[in-house]
Parts: sequence; structure tokens; C-alpha cells
Amino acid sequence: MGLIEKSRIKSPWILHFDNSSCNGCDIEILACLTPLYDVERFGMVNMGNPKHADVLLITGPVNRRTARVLKNLYAQVPDPKIVIAVGTCASSGGVFHNCYNVLGGVDKVIPVDVYIPGCAARPEAIIDGVVLALQKLASLRGDKK
Amino acid sequence: MESWMMAIAILLPLVAGILVFIIRQYHVQSFIVVLTAIILAVNSILFLQQGPFTYSPGGFNWGLMVTILDYVILLFYLYVGISLRNWLVLIFALTQLIPLAWWEFGMKAHVELTPAFVVDHLSIVMTLVISIIGSLICIYALRYMYDHEHHTKLAKSRQPRFLFWLVIFLGAMNGLVFANNLVWLYFFWEVTTLCCFQLIAHDLTKEAINNAARALWMNSLGGTAFVFALIFLYVTQGGAEALSVQNIISGHITGAVIILPVALLCFTGFTKAAQMPFQSWLLGAMVAPTPVSALLHSSTMVKAGVYLVLRLAPAYAGTHLSTIIAIAGAFTFFAASGLAISQTTGKRVLAYSTIANLGLIIACAGINTPLAIAAAILLIIFHAISKGLLFLCAGTIEHQIWSREIEDMEGLAAKAPLTTLITTVGILSMFLPPFGMLLGKWLALEAAYMVPLAAIFFVLASTLTIVFWTKWLGRLLQVLPKIGWPREKLSLSYSVPLWLLLIGIFVIGMGVGPIYQNFILSATNNVITGNQIIPIGWHSLILTGTAFVEKGILGIFLVWPLFLILAVALLLPLLFIGLKPKELRPVYLCGEQTGDLDTDEWLAEADVKTKFQLGGYYYQKVLGEKTLDPWVNTIAIVILVIMLGYGVIIK
Amino acid sequence: MIDQLITVIVALIVAPLIGGLLFGFDRKITARLQGRYGPPIIQPFYDFFKLLGKQHIAVSKLQFIWIYGYLTFMVVSLLFLVLKLDILLLVFLLGFAGVCFVLGAFSTKSPYAHFGANRELLQILAYEPVLLFLALGVYAQNGSFLISEIFKQDKPLLFTLWPLFIAVLFILTIKMRKSPFDISTSHHAHQEIVRGTVTEYSGPYYALIQLVEWYELVLLLGIIALFWTNPLWVGILIALGAFILELLIDNIAARLTARWMVRLSWSVGLVLGIINIAYLYLTKGVA
Ligand code: SF4
Repeated sequence: MGLIEKSRIKSPWILHFDNSSCNGCDIEILACLTPLYDVERFGMVNMGNPKHADVLLITGPVNRRTARVLKNLYAQVPDPKIVIAVGTCASSGGVFHNCYNVLGGVDKVIPVDVYIPGCAARPEAIIDGVVLALQKLASLRGDKK
Repeated sequence: MESWMMAIAILLPLVAGILVFIIRQYHVQSFIVVLTAIILAVNSILFLQQGPFTYSPGGFNWGLMVTILDYVILLFYLYVGISLRNWLVLIFALTQLIPLAWWEFGMKAHVELTPAFVVDHLSIVMTLVISIIGSLICIYALRYMYDHEHHTKLAKSRQPRFLFWLVIFLGAMNGLVFANNLVWLYFFWEVTTLCCFQLIAHDLTKEAINNAARALWMNSLGGTAFVFALIFLYVTQGGAEALSVQNIISGHITGAVIILPVALLCFTGFTKAAQMPFQSWLLGAMVAPTPVSALLHSSTMVKAGVYLVLRLAPAYAGTHLSTIIAIAGAFTFFAASGLAISQTTGKRVLAYSTIANLGLIIACAGINTPLAIAAAILLIIFHAISKGLLFLCAGTIEHQIWSREIEDMEGLAAKAPLTTLITTVGILSMFLPPFGMLLGKWLALEAAYMVPLAAIFFVLASTLTIVFWTKWLGRLLQVLPKIGWPREKLSLSYSVPLWLLLIGIFVIGMGVGPIYQNFILSATNNVITGNQIIPIGWHSLILTGTAFVEKGILGIFLVWPLFLILAVALLLPLLFIGLKPKELRPVYLCGEQTGDLDTDEWLAEADVKTKFQLGGYYYQKVLGEKTLDPWVNTIAIVILVIMLGYGVIIK
Repeated sequence: MIDQLITVIVALIVAPLIGGLLFGFDRKITARLQGRYGPPIIQPFYDFFKLLGKQHIAVSKLQFIWIYGYLTFMVVSLLFLVLKLDILLLVFLLGFAGVCFVLGAFSTKSPYAHFGANRELLQILAYEPVLLFLALGVYAQNGSFLISEIFKQDKPLLFTLWPLFIAVLFILTIKMRKSPFDISTSHHAHQEIVRGTVTEYSGPYYALIQLVEWYELVLLLGIIALFWTNPLWVGILIALGAFILELLIDNIAARLTARWMVRLSWSVGLVLGIINIAYLYLTKGVA
């Protein structure tokens, strides 16, 4: 494993995007940053900007309004990138399934690499999901995908 | 030979001016102007080769002619004052006319001096600046005025008249820097004021005429001080000999009695150099077509002001007047830089920057050490080149977007890349290393510790300088994601002066070491005699041999390594970084942008497409003219009163 | 000559290592102060190499040109320090680096970068005079702007230039973009104007900016070390002390507005600077 691949695992920067969740999952993501879980020890940092991100953490089901935004943000994240759907809603639409304005899970709009189930997804599960994603990330090359 | 050179420098512009005034064909005019420009430039280089000499014209009663023309000009001012019902113009015309008449006819003063002209290194520096940069601006003016008249849809071309005054200006300036007889100097001084008035008023709009009148009365106020200085010198020193510049500065006239006239002359210099509180005439001059501004700001007019102050430096060396001048100049440098931040019009930013830099030059003259004088001369040269270039750029931009507002120049890099590139270099050359202006500023700061108050103003002003230039440059560069640049074509009359000045910035900037040693040092010696101490920091720029290697400073370190660094930093990336279309992304707009790459639209609430707009910051509440002007002018007036008061008390 | 070449090469290689470690240390300390465990100390290097391996994406070509200028001029400023050249020119070159950074942000039509650039300009307005005053103070003390001259003096600068020392500590916060002055861009993840000046940089170019920050940190601490050059280790300790003080301030302070930053630095910094120079002028006269 080269230096860059190793660094990739050690330094996942996160962009958190909320489609139309109930905010349950979002709070759990923020909980990861707190001293109790402290994801920064793995080098994870929550970025406010897709251009700096490696990992897209997406919560909530995609609706007609957010689908476009999600696509735009996804395009602005430089490769290699990983998309993680956090929570049942993001994975499949969850309790919002078949709502008049809801398209469904995140994978309806952009390719998803890791699904983290749970309503809401527990911080441990989120960290676990990110670690899983990192293994995939390490194998990706900058110009692919 | 010398008489020919003199005649060409002073009279050729007059002849050429009359010719272009009579012959009204664009091509013939262009030919005459270009030819004159070339001859003047070559002539100034001849001056450089010839070195210092003195000269008195004979064969004709030139003195009488000067006197007659003096009165013609003053009577014309009187006429202007009456016809415009501008009392200030009228009053200050009278305050010049009456004392002058009283002196020359009442007291039967007759000033015939040999030599009438003294050419020394300082004048040679000035004539090079005037003849080369001024000529380039005249060439630029040809096409500019053509476009200008096209755009303003003038019925009858006023271009001949315009070119007439423009070209004569150069001759008057040359006369001014060579004159040794103060009466003649006064005459050339008035001619430049007259040219300036005519050129500012050129467009004949109400605003133009008002501003021209303001320029006229302020400079007439300076002229009045000049007249009083003449009479005072004549009366107290008892004779014509006192009116020789060389006598004044070489210490032939000694004692405190000279302080008052020198202070008056410096006051005159201040008005012409648009120092606070006289800045408003130069700002008003912005209404004139851009070549006029370029000429006024870079090589003529205002440079006459700093020339006079610099020329007189030995006369006030070692007195408190010197310190007061240093503080006055430094204050102008500071205040004008601050005011420049709040300006929304490109040309006004340039104008304030000119005022600021003239303040710096005058402050250097006031600090009055060999180092400071050298800094002043360097600054005169570099400022002329950079500011000339920037004004020509401003003119070119104006003729592409037909606006002078900085906000309208947003994203110019995408519309006119070539102009933007040249403007960028011009702006960078005003305030960053390794360009000449900064070298001058560096030298000035090294010298400034003599007058700590001036040093403090320098520090604050150079910081403010960074802010207003960067702010403006930032607006030009703001582009949307796009690949490739449009091709931009400039007419020859635009591009030749632009490129020549651009090359000049680099050539003179890189050659500053040799130029300093061969050229500036001797010019400095003309102003101030004393040990030439090159600051140790400058050893890194100027090769001074082994002593310097012993000091343990990095071997042979000339200024060009800094240019090399500049090339590595900016030029190489500019040339070699490519960008592929698939690498482009739109700017971050929270994912709300409307699709395409080069979009500046986003979907606002209810999915309404909205164009977002960015504006520059101008801090007008804090730094605007409304807020600052009363303070600035009050302080400046107090400083001036102290300056003149000191002269009176010492007497 | 050879010595100097070696110094240059060592400085070029070692400075970013030290800078990177200091930034890692910064994150660790900050985490500890917040009751967290924190990332490993070499985390900045992981970030750096990861960014190097990312895809090039860009908004305009112009922004890269300026970022190379930023890097080059920062490095040259640092070289001026290690080669003990003119401190005044060093400050000017540092100013050029700052201008490049601002222009890089200005060369995109991005609202966030634009905010950042304007604020960064205010930061320049706030710190530049103090640095220039420092140069003047050095001149007042030694009669020369040369850094090598500082090293020749037995008496540390700190004794006579202590007001300027305080002013420099003040602007160190601004220059390091730490709270309360993390105004143009911030090291912490969340930022109400996204990432200010660096919003539009990503991947390798963002890595470049991090590299410049490392150089910059070393340069700034080096300037602080100049206050006590004989023996130099005291100066280095002072610099490290100043660094830790900054971290502490960073963690206990909330952010101020840009206007307050300029006001504070122009009042505190300038008053201290002016007092210092006036004092030196009056006691020592013209050097
Ligand atoms: S998965 Fe549950 S907690 Fe998460 S957004 Fe959906 S409903 Fe809320």
C-alpha cells in the first residue's frame, strides 16, 4: 500500500448532506464528533465544502427538490470519493417511502457505496460504516470512478 | 550641438504643435506626432550622453519674449475668470499679475542671467522621463482621441486643438527642468498650468470646465506664491543674481532669509504636485480624456511640482523646514492611500495613488539625506513608467467597456485578457517586490528613520496601498469557469505604447543596480553632496564586490534573482499549467447552481432563477471622502501654515 | 557559498516537517482541551498526501497561478530569514505572498471565496504595519535592517523591543488565523462562510496551501525567535511558548468581527509600535 493510499484511509474528510431527514440521523452524526466518540482520532473531519471532501454522508430520503442539489454536490467532490447513506431513510426511503414528494433512497440519484441501516443509525454504526467505506476508498484511484 | 539639443527639447514640440493644429488630416497629424515623439526621445538620450552643461540662448531677446508671454498668459487667466464668473480664478490671476507688473515695471526689475539654462543629471533624468514616456502617451492619444470623438459623436473634430496642447506640454516641461533663471522657470510653470487648463476643459462639458477652472485657480495660487518668492528674493538679496536656481541651492545665498522664499516655492510645488489640501484639482482632472490624465500623472505637470521641491532640497537642508516638508509629504502619502480605498472609479484610484506617491517623493526630499534623495529620483522614474502604463490601461479598458467604474470591470480577464494581463503587471509593479516602485519605497523606508513621524506614516500608507490595489485587481480577475480566452486585438497606437512601457518596467526594474550606480548617484549628487551611503540591504541588489561576500551575505545577489523568483512564481504557472475541460467544476453555491459550468445563477426560494452578484468593498462610511476630507484637509492646512509660518518666523 | 546552499536546502526540507508537526500538535492539544483524544500528531501529513492523490478539479486557471506565487514567495521569505538577509524586504515579500493568496481567492466568481478574500485583505491591513514596525524597530536598535546584524548583538532585542514583541504576538494570532481572528478562513471544520479564501481550492492545490501554511508557521515563529538570538535556543523556546499561548487563546476565545480585528490591531499594535520606536528614537537618536 503506497503512501497516498495509506493517507487516504487515515484522513477521510466528510461532507454531511441532509436531504429531508427527520434530523434524527443528523444528530447522531454530530454525536460522532463529540468527545465520547471523537471521530477526529481517525482523522475524520467534518467539512462544509464538497471540494474538500472525500466522503459524502447523506441522511434522509431524496425528494424532488434535493435530488438536483445532491447531484450537484456529488459532482463537486473530487475523485476518489465515497458515498455513504446513513439511516434507513437514506438507504431506501424508510418511513417516508411513497410520500408524494419523495423519490426514495439516495441510490436513486447517485451511486452509494455503503448503506448504514438504523432509525436512527447509531454513532457506532456510522463509524463502522465509514471504516468499511475507507477500505473501499483505499483501493480507488484518483482518476477512476 | 547643445543649442540644437536645447532647441529641439523646448521648441520642437511648439512647432509640431502648431503644425498639427493647422493640418487637420488624421494621418498627417499622426505622422507628425510620431516623428516628434521619436526625435524627442532620441534627443533626450543625446542629453544623457552629453552629460551636464550650461547654456544661454543668444541672438534674440528671449527675456523680453518671456515677459510678454507671461502677461499674455496672465491676461488670458483674467479673461477666463471673468467669462466663467469664477472669482477664485480672477483673484489669483490678479494676485499674480499686479505684483508681477509692480515688480517688473514699478521696480524696473530686469533679470538677465547667464547661464539661463543649466543641464545637470537631475534635469537629464527629468527630460528622459518627459521625452520618452510623455511621447509614448502622445502616440497613444492619437488613436484614443479618434475613438473618443467617434464615441461622443462630435460634429467638428477638436482633435487638432487637443494635440496642440498635448505636444506643447512636453516642451514646456523640458524648459521647466532646464531653466536656471527663476523668471523663466516661472514662465514655463505658467505654460504647464495653461496647457493643463486647456486639456482638462477639452470636452467642454460643464463638469470639465468647472474642474479645469479649479485646477487653474489652485495652480494660480501656487503661481502667486512663486511670484512673491521671486520678488522677495529680488528685494532682500538685492539683485538678479539671487534669482538663479544654482545660486540658491549652492549656498551662495546663505542665512535664514532664504527660508521664506524657499518655503513659498515649496508651497508652489505642493500645489502643482496636488498635495493635500490641493488634491481636488488633480481628482477633478479625471474628467479629461485619459491620455491627458496619463500625461499629467506620469511625466508632466505633477512631476514639475516634485521636481521643484527636490531641486530646492539643498536650500532647506538641515532646517526644520526640511522636517516639515517630510511630514507634509508623508501625511499626504498616508491620507491619499486611505482615501483611495473608498474610490469606486478606476481613474480616481489611480489619481489618489499618484497623489500618495508624490507625497512619498516629497517626503523623501524633506528627509534630505543622500539615500532619501536617491529614493526620490528612483521613485520619479518608476512612478512615471508604471503610472503612465496604468493610465493607458485604464484608457484601453474604458474604450472596451465604455465605463470607468471598477464594478463594471468585473471579470475583465475573461473579456479582454491581454489588457488585463498588462494592467495586472502594471498594478503589481506599483506596490510589490521586485518592481521598481517597491525598491524606491524600500530605500525610502531605510532613509525614513531620520524623521520617525514620516516613517510611521510610510508604514501605514504602504499597508493601505496593498489593500486598494489588491482590491481593484481582484475585481478584474474574477472569472467564471471556462476554458480558453478570447483573442483580443488592440490598435497599434494603443499596443505600442503599452508594450513599450511594460518592457520598460522590466528593463529598468532589472537594471536598477547599474542604473543606480551610473545614473541615480550622479543625479543625487546634483541635489545633495555628501557621502553616498548605499544601505546594506541594497548590497543585495547592487554588486559591490568582495567586501560584500565577506559580510557573509549570499554571494552575488542582484535584483534579477528576485525577478527570476517572480517568473517562477507567476510566469511559469501561467504558461505551463493547463486545465482540461473535464477538470472544471462550477463554483460552490451549496449545490443550488443552475446546472452548467459557467453559471452565475442559482435557484433561490420557490426555485426562481436568480443571478448572484458580487461587489467590491469600499468602506465608504469609514474611509469615504465625506468622512475623511474635513480631517485630512484641516491637518494638511495646519501643516502648510506651520511651514510658511516657520519661514516667516525664521526671517 | 556552499554553507548557504546547504542552509537553503535544509530549510526547504525541514521547515515543512516542523510546520506540519506543529499543526499536528495543535490539533492534538486542541482535542485534549476539549476533552477528546485527538488525531495522531502526524495527521497533517496524512491529510497532505491524501490531498495530493486526489483528482485535479478547478474553477479557473488563474487561481492556480496565484497559489504558486503564494508558495514561492512564502518560501523565499523563509529563505531570507534563514540566510539572515534584509528583514524589511522579507516583510515586503511576505506581503506579496499574502497578496497572491487574496488574488487567488478573488480570481473566481465564488461568493465564499470573495468573502474570504475581502476579509483576508483586512487581515493584511491589520498585521502588515506591525511587521513593518518590527523592521523599523530592528533598524532603530541595530542601525541596520540585516537579520545577520541581529545575531551579532549580545543584548537580545526583547529587552528594548518588548512592546513590539507584544504587538507581534498579537498579530501572530491574525497571521495564524486562530480565534479570535480566524476571519478569512479557519482551521476548524465549521465555518459560517464555508471555508473563506480556500473554498474553491481542492485536491493537490489545497495540499499546496497546507504546505504554505507550514512554511508560514515556521517563518513566523522564526521571526519571533529573532527577539532573542544569543543564544538562539532561548529565542526558539520563546517562539514555542508563543505558539502554545496562541493555541490556548484559540481555544478559549470566540471569533471577533473583521472590523474589530482591524480596530484592535491598529490601536494596540500601532500604539505599541509607535511608543517603541519613539522611545528608541529619543534614547538612541538616529542610528
Ligand atoms: S432513518 Fe430514522 S432517524 Fe434517520 S432520518 Fe430517517 S426517520 Fe429520521
